[in-house]
Amino acid sequence: MNPGLFPRSVVVAIVMVAGTLFVACNSAKDAGAAGDAASRVYVAPGTHDELYAFMSGGFSGQMSVYGLPSGRLFRVIPVFSQDPEKGWGYTEETIPMLNTSFGFVPWDDAHHPEFSMTDGVPDGRWIFINGNNTPRIARIDLTTFRTTEIIEIPNSAGNHSSPFTTENSEYVVAGTRFSIPMFENQDVPIESYKENFRGMLSFVSVDKEHGNMDIAFQILMPGFDYDLAHAGKGPSADWMFFSTYNTEQAHTMLEVEASQNDKDFIAAINWKKAEQYVAQGKAKKMPGRYAHNVYDEKSHTATSTMKDGVLVLDPKDCPDMIYFLPTPKSPHGADVDPTGEYIVGGGKLATVIPVFSFSKMLKAIDAKKFDATVHDIPVLSYEAVLAGEVEKPGLGPLHTEFDNDGNAYTSMFVSSEIVKWSLKDFTVLDRVPTYYSIGHLMIPGGDSKKPYGKYVIALNKITKDRYLPTGPELTQSAQLYDITGSKMKLLSDFPTIGEPHYAQALPAELIKEKSVRAYKIMENTHPHVTLGEKDTRVERSGKVVRVYITSIRSHFKPDVIEGIKVGDEVYFHLTNLEQDWDTPHGFAIKGARTAELLVMPGETQTIKWLPDRPGIFPMYCTDFCSALHQEMQGYVRVSPAGSSVALKHNGLKQ
Amino acid sequence: MEHRRIYGGIVAAVLLFISGCGNSGGEQQDTQAAAAAAEETAKATYGKITEVSMDAQLNAEYAEKGEKIFNVVCSACHKLDERYVGPELGTVFKRRTPVYIMNMMLDTEVMLEKDDTARCLLQEYLTKMPSAQVNETDARYVLEHLRAVAETR
Repeated sequence: MNPGLFPRSVVVAIVMVAGTLFVACNSAKDAGAAGDAASRVYVAPGTHDELYAFMSGGFSGQMSVYGLPSGRLFRVIPVFSQDPEKGWGYTEETIPMLNTSFGFVPWDDAHHPEFSMTDGVPDGRWIFINGNNTPRIARIDLTTFRTTEIIEIPNSAGNHSSPFTTENSEYVVAGTRFSIPMFENQDVPIESYKENFRGMLSFVSVDKEHGNMDIAFQILMPGFDYDLAHAGKGPSADWMFFSTYNTEQAHTMLEVEASQNDKDFIAAINWKKAEQYVAQGKAKKMPGRYAHNVYDEKSHTATSTMKDGVLVLDPKDCPDMIYFLPTPKSPHGADVDPTGEYIVGGGKLATVIPVFSFSKMLKAIDAKKFDATVHDIPVLSYEAVLAGEVEKPGLGPLHTEFDNDGNAYTSMFVSSEIVKWSLKDFTVLDRVPTYYSIGHLMIPGGDSKKPYGKYVIALNKITKDRYLPTGPELTQSAQLYDITGSKMKLLSDFPTIGEPHYAQALPAELIKEKSVRAYKIMENTHPHVTLGEKDTRVERSGKVVRVYITSIRSHFKPDVIEGIKVGDEVYFHLTNLEQDWDTPHGFAIKGARTAELLVMPGETQTIKWLPDRPGIFPMYCTDFCSALHQEMQGYVRVSPAGSSVALKHNGLKQ
Repeated sequence: MEHRRIYGGIVAAVLLFISGCGNSGGEQQDTQAAAAAAEETAKATYGKITEVSMDAQLNAEYAEKGEKIFNVVCSACHKLDERYVGPELGTVFKRRTPVYIMNMMLDTEVMLEKDDTARCLLQEYLTKMPSAQVNETDARYVLEHLRAVAETR
């Protein structure tokens, strides 16, 4: 350092201040990461991450895709919310995907991503996610990273305990967080809750080959709040476990009123038995309107079908199908260990973590060890089904995931920490702070039969001072911890999209080679496809004008169009003729009150344009495509309604 | 023109690249030197295709299939009788070898990087030919179409 610039005394002062700061920082909060953390999360430029992570986008309604361990964001997959960047919910082809029994809904609150499973292990085919507000389940194809199907859940409100899947994805489930009046009986006083409000657990079947979903059956439940779920596995594979709270059946001030009971329940549902009851005709066909939206990858077009009527089972007609496991104090998570023997309840207000034994549960059912019957459903004796309790785990246990070595990891919301405990003796082995207020946590494969382990991700609710401030709204955040040793080690923090609820992760090798690079143009069956520039044209039928336009680096054809009139309904059907990887073209036209098109190679997408004034309207490619991208443009002339300007264009088919 | 190897660094490579292309007379002049060019590209071949078997007679069925593919995949950038985004292809069968044409469709990136003729054409046209992502069978059909087209010119 040049002493002429900084006198020695100043240098000393700076060193001292820095030293004080350092000490102060360390004592204020032990926020430091492990010593080798940087090298553990460093993925050198041009090299790939070890894992894909799929995070819920929370109230953004979308799903985000990250690499682990780097925490680099690759893609935001539009699911339940319109996304003008990708034209999702704006193009004629994707608008039907957001159709519901309420009509077009441009937003939702997405909570829990869940991989499709084969033999209890993620198979890398699809990932499901629930829409909480207007109850829906979406299926995303892991070869295209696009939402390919959305099914609405009828007779439901607050679709929170969803879309958890059975061992071979026979079903994804949906449970009502909000109990509501069912069927025809809708307009009732809210204070008649106990009399009129019911919960509903839906089993949505998944086609083994194509993944298509269908509402197989629903189970009418007491008017509690159904919170989360996980399927059994191995010996318990025929069962699905739903946590409940508000067994008090309060309808106001749940904060107080729904925290009265010492124990709520985990509902154990034998779905194989439910299937048998349905087969025996015990389910009643009940009303329930819902939209079923499917995207076709060959025609690049979605269709929305409105359906009505569902098969509903009533537990009072179906003995030996459902049992309640008493679970302390408003349980949140209901998580099943890799062996399928242990069911862990996370009681938000509980001082212990109860661990239930599946084998003891079966014995207790055989021996009829019931404490009570609630709404026709037997309540098993707590002691008879309990494997053990984790004592003094921390405050506010929520969710539990597992590694492959017989350990469980539970998130503690109130005490802001992850607690590692042993499934052998239910003792706490380690604890590590999170910053701050962890909700879900995720171990890659940590809810499956074969956890990949290695890392645990904390999905936090509060970030406060962890990042540079950005006004009153701060970033959402996840944290990555190493769990390979006996002590958990914090490796990194990284920002996330929306509030990250649950997440899933799998080894990149499982899906990366299957990623689609381009859609085959010769297989494009879009009704308005343009197969080659020779077919480019503009057609008028009354006020409807269809522009059959193509893109390739770097021009549109046609790029000069005249004879459009105010009041016309213009459809730009853009076919991207490219067949190479990473060659989307964008399309924007001045004044469009919708969005851009972003068209993948070999695909056709359509934007509807309603010109409202005469003039010349430039259009251009928005996605930088080549050295001559800035030349990729065109003009559309709009004349007044009733004008005699003839339709004219430089498409090759006149 | 001599086939040269690039030993040097970036500067040397650029100099070679520029000097290697000679007078850019465009495709017109190139066509006149058709025989010479064919001979030249035959000297060094790049890309995965090393030989193409062709019957003495035109295969009309292949040519017809090739025309359909050409219209969808190639025609956005190539016209038959005039320069467009890329060179005109009406007589390409006369001025290039079948191996060259096949490799331009099937191994585009390698050709643009290594083949002297392809490199010089890129320098002239400045738009990098995208990979057509056609398979070998389809490329062979397109080749036959280009053969049929050339016979009428």
